[in-house]
Amino acid sequence: MQLNVNGRTLEAEATGLATLVDVLRYELDLTGTKEACGVGVCGACTVLLDGRMVASCITLAAQAQGAQIQTIEGLGDRELLDPLQESFITDGGFQCGICTPGQLMAAKALLEHNPQPTEDEIKHWMMGNLCRCTGYYQIIESVANAANAARGDR
Amino acid sequence: MTAYQTVGTATARVDGVDKTTGRAEYAADHALPGIIWGKVLHSSRPHARIVRIDTTEATALPGVRAVITGDDIRGNLYGRAIKDMPVLAVDVVRYVGERIAAVAADDEATAQRALDLIEVEYEDLPAVFDIEEALGADAPIIHPAYGTYPGSKPLDAPSNGYHRTVQNRGDLDAGFAEADEIIEHIYTTQRQHQAYLEPHTTVVAIEGGHTNVWTNSKVPYATRDGLAFTIGIPADTITVHALYIGGDFGGKGTPLNMPICYYLARESGRPVRMVSDYIEEFLAGNPRHATLIKLRTGVKRDGTMTAHHVQFFVNCGAYAGYKPAGVIGGANHAAGPYRIPNTRVEATQVYTNTVPGGHMRTPGGPQTVFALESHIDEIARALGRDPYDFRMQNLAEDGEQNAAGETFARVRAKETLQAGAEAAGYAQPKGLHIGRGMALGDHAAGGGHGSATVTLTPDGGITVGTPIFEQGTGTHTTLLQIVAEELAVDPERVHLDSWDTGAVDTDSGIGGSRGTRVASTVGHEVAQETRRALLRIAAEAANRHVDEFTFGNDGVIRHNSNIVAPRSWGDLLVATGQTAVGHAEADIEGRASATGFAAQFAEVSVDPETGEVKLLQFTSAHDVGMVLNPVGHQGQVNGGIVQGIGFAMMEELRVEDGRVTTLSFGDYKIPSAGDIPPLKTVLLPSDDGVGPYVVKGIGENSNTPVAAAIANAVADAIGARVRNLPITSERVYRTLKSQG
Amino acid sequence: MSPETTVTFHTPSTLDEAFALLKEHGDDARVIAGGTALVVMMKQSLVVVDHLVSLASIPGLVGIDVREGAVHIGALTRHRDVETSPIVREHLPFLSDVYGRVATVRIRNSATVGGGLAHADPSQDPPAALMVLDARVRLVSPRGEREVAVAEMFRDYYETVLRSDELIAEVIVPIPSATARTAYLKFLPRNEDDYATVAVAALAEVANGTVQKLRVTLIAAGPTPVRAEAVEAALEGQSPTAEAIRAAADLVADAVDPMDDFRGAPDYKRDMAVVFTRRALERVLLAQG
Repeated sequence: MQLNVNGRTLEAEATGLATLVDVLRYELDLTGTKEACGVGVCGACTVLLDGRMVASCITLAAQAQGAQIQTIEGLGDRELLDPLQESFITDGGFQCGICTPGQLMAAKALLEHNPQPTEDEIKHWMMGNLCRCTGYYQIIESVANAANAARGDR
Repeated sequence: MTAYQTVGTATARVDGVDKTTGRAEYAADHALPGIIWGKVLHSSRPHARIVRIDTTEATALPGVRAVITGDDIRGNLYGRAIKDMPVLAVDVVRYVGERIAAVAADDEATAQRALDLIEVEYEDLPAVFDIEEALGADAPIIHPAYGTYPGSKPLDAPSNGYHRTVQNRGDLDAGFAEADEIIEHIYTTQRQHQAYLEPHTTVVAIEGGHTNVWTNSKVPYATRDGLAFTIGIPADTITVHALYIGGDFGGKGTPLNMPICYYLARESGRPVRMVSDYIEEFLAGNPRHATLIKLRTGVKRDGTMTAHHVQFFVNCGAYAGYKPAGVIGGANHAAGPYRIPNTRVEATQVYTNTVPGGHMRTPGGPQTVFALESHIDEIARALGRDPYDFRMQNLAEDGEQNAAGETFARVRAKETLQAGAEAAGYAQPKGLHIGRGMALGDHAAGGGHGSATVTLTPDGGITVGTPIFEQGTGTHTTLLQIVAEELAVDPERVHLDSWDTGAVDTDSGIGGSRGTRVASTVGHEVAQETRRALLRIAAEAANRHVDEFTFGNDGVIRHNSNIVAPRSWGDLLVATGQTAVGHAEADIEGRASATGFAAQFAEVSVDPETGEVKLLQFTSAHDVGMVLNPVGHQGQVNGGIVQGIGFAMMEELRVEDGRVTTLSFGDYKIPSAGDIPPLKTVLLPSDDGVGPYVVKGIGENSNTPVAAAIANAVADAIGARVRNLPITSERVYRTLKSQG
Repeated sequence: MSPETTVTFHTPSTLDEAFALLKEHGDDARVIAGGTALVVMMKQSLVVVDHLVSLASIPGLVGIDVREGAVHIGALTRHRDVETSPIVREHLPFLSDVYGRVATVRIRNSATVGGGLAHADPSQDPPAALMVLDARVRLVSPRGEREVAVAEMFRDYYETVLRSDELIAEVIVPIPSATARTAYLKFLPRNEDDYATVAVAALAEVANGTVQKLRVTLIAAGPTPVRAEAVEAALEGQSPTAEAIRAAADLVADAVDPMDDFRGAPDYKRDMAVVFTRRALERVLLAQG
């Protein structure tokens, strides 16, 4: 099957029931996307399909054909980090890092849809991205600070 | 306090770019040519004789490369201290979820299909699930051969209570005789899963007699040695490779499927990857232990405590092998930081036919602190005293022993409690069905063996090598900050190199809040060694004696009479073309002499019609030493509290008839961003602490008192005393109803 | 965990093609919409089939419009699109809110309206709202089409009255009278991202001090969503006093049949059903304070 990932068309050998996360990780070597709970609850596997965040662990790769898929690998790199990546680094938005790609993709979708979210809006939007390390406060701060940075407050 | 440039600042973490770009490598990300998938079959019975395992059909399935059972690998038992568990069950299974067979196949789906084709015939045996049942006179003995296991001590008589300690201080009976009132309660706590979001994962590749392992172990050296013992091969033929660990909280010291992965790799001749799914994690992980805690305290009418008897029972599950010390400590926390002259602390470790427990963030701590700090509140209420005043009266002061007979330097329990009360507005008026509760905990950082190497090259390269794998708390960054500080360089210039095992003889890894203590000591020592190496190079270059040179905190090397012009160490290496190497090892024994106190205050509202508890605010006051990285430190405080909230109010690895029934994150709920209350943190910094940077541990302290603070707040709000965790709305509702 | 590898994923572009595939493969095929529930069940081998028939490429199944006093929502419309649709917000703000209470944004981005109803999980939020709004589903099959009230479509846990060859084409939601008041109370004592311990939807029209129309529905209270007809009957035509509401709410105890799970024991959930029914009734029947 063909998948459009981070602007590139990639060929993957995948059968009908392969989940998107498995195909990304084990067929396309895009291991930045993680799988944790496997049932769509924790958000570690969050990727964007046509700009909307979905759980790639309960989305079949076949369902993602024809959509623009964005993963952490497309967010920004060492040379040019996304403001979200910058703020997660400076404000303690990650510790062990396993939920971080999912948190960042969820936050990316949030800021695309609502560039200046309130704290409650961030909490509500990010509620489906579990983190066991940070207790969330520094993630929320990171997202808020990235939004401010985009506005030029920082 | 000494002024520092880098230490004490919010230095950006060295793993930041890797982790925010998705490039950080975790065990499941490790790819190898020809790698295949391993999967495990788990027992469906809590206690049974295995009559027969038929793997014929599984073996015949196309794509299957190896099928193994306990019979194939009969060999050494496995265990971190007490070696009581087979890698795969032999003859008998002792819990639902016990590993009984494993398959390696070309893909995960084929491995799963092969597992479904394995037939197991069981003959059920009587099983026991609860502490009281297991200690009953006619309970089936789960381990009749206990005493023959390596690491165990023979028992006087067969018992599921495989380990018992009694610690006496003063005269307990006389203490009770002195008391005006004797107050007694029983508390229970539930199993909690660490809920790291990265499940246990292992990749094993055996090449030319050498075994390469990629696994998320926070104690890679112990993991290597344990594997070597179990397989019966020399430890130096195994390398555990460095990678990032996706969350630990105590649970990543137990290898779970790792030895199985080795046998599958050996049997199939291929590299094998085993990634647990979360069903397996919940069913057969290594959760925090369920406990039963009986507390009995003698108290005088004036509030003096005269005697305190702790009976701490740990439901260990079917094996002790996942416990690094074979037992769960923490009983002393049920004695507490109070002045009580006569105490007895008994701890009993009990086998049951349930999932074996492992370590989780302060093993035994949240359980015993919940019990003790609830009990202290109940004693205060029984005497008609405010719980805050009652604690202030009884807290041990500097120079005094605590109830367990321990003496710590520079005790600041009362100061911490007071600071917390002020920040929490404890004495402020409050509305109907609003309650405030407090709890106090303390924890001295643990010890361990650590090492590090610094390499400085003429091209300006600065590399710190460490045997510790970064499991999330920022230990690598701590090390890097200290080296940058001592060498007077920008931390961004320092590169961190996480070593595979074998680089040094041994290392203790992460645990017991030792990370910062050990890393800061090792970091300091390795920096001093590196400074000395630089001075030797300076002396050699000038043909002078090394003692004539000093290393300034600005990174400049000076001669004592200025015969040689001062120059920075960087210039020295450029000029000489030399490489400077410093290596240090530190053996830090036992608990730190200084303990760190945490005083936490919960404010809740309780709906008396439904029992629903809402956390309105949470305040955490900490007696700290020097804070090496304020962002990282606050992250430990926040994360510890939120995990504590989960333990207090929602998390329960439910076991019914010996079977874990909460098998997904849909049923086992942990706090989300939607569940966190406003948080206030108060830090009481000081020059007290341990090691060159006067530090105290924080990772455990922020977590232990949370449940007790919430329980006490609920009781304050509506008078419902919940003695069994978690404090669900249903429990509060039933307690209220039973009180009429 | 990876499931079976031999599954064929079909993407018919017309309903007729879909019907033909379903007929051809019978019990060995399942319809997939958003997949949020089905994929989990297949990963855990709770559903094992060799053919998946995706409805995603069939035109006309997605979208929201207003016709003849009702909002029509295509079966493949995502939960999130119902939540944020300006049309739904204008005519059925209550329905937007309830769709917005389902799980998390990420799940609402995938889960579809028709898929959710066909899944028939008695803990899902939308049926509660749809039932008090007297919504119905339009079912299509090779034999033609029919409409069924949402209140009539659930038979048991994960079971509906849909015949094996029928698909949900759309949900039709009548726009209630401008004076109707609604409430949805979802009891989440454990965690914000949990299924409800119990939840109650209510809709009422009150005129001249008398209850003209009342609908009360509970979810997570039995094998199917529960319409509390006894409660409705006790108050319709009556003056909604606090005492009358309390007495009516007590009647819900006999209407529910909650199951024992991690969100509570049956007796606790029954007591909570009474409490939240009373509170929902107070919201829709008593003058706002």
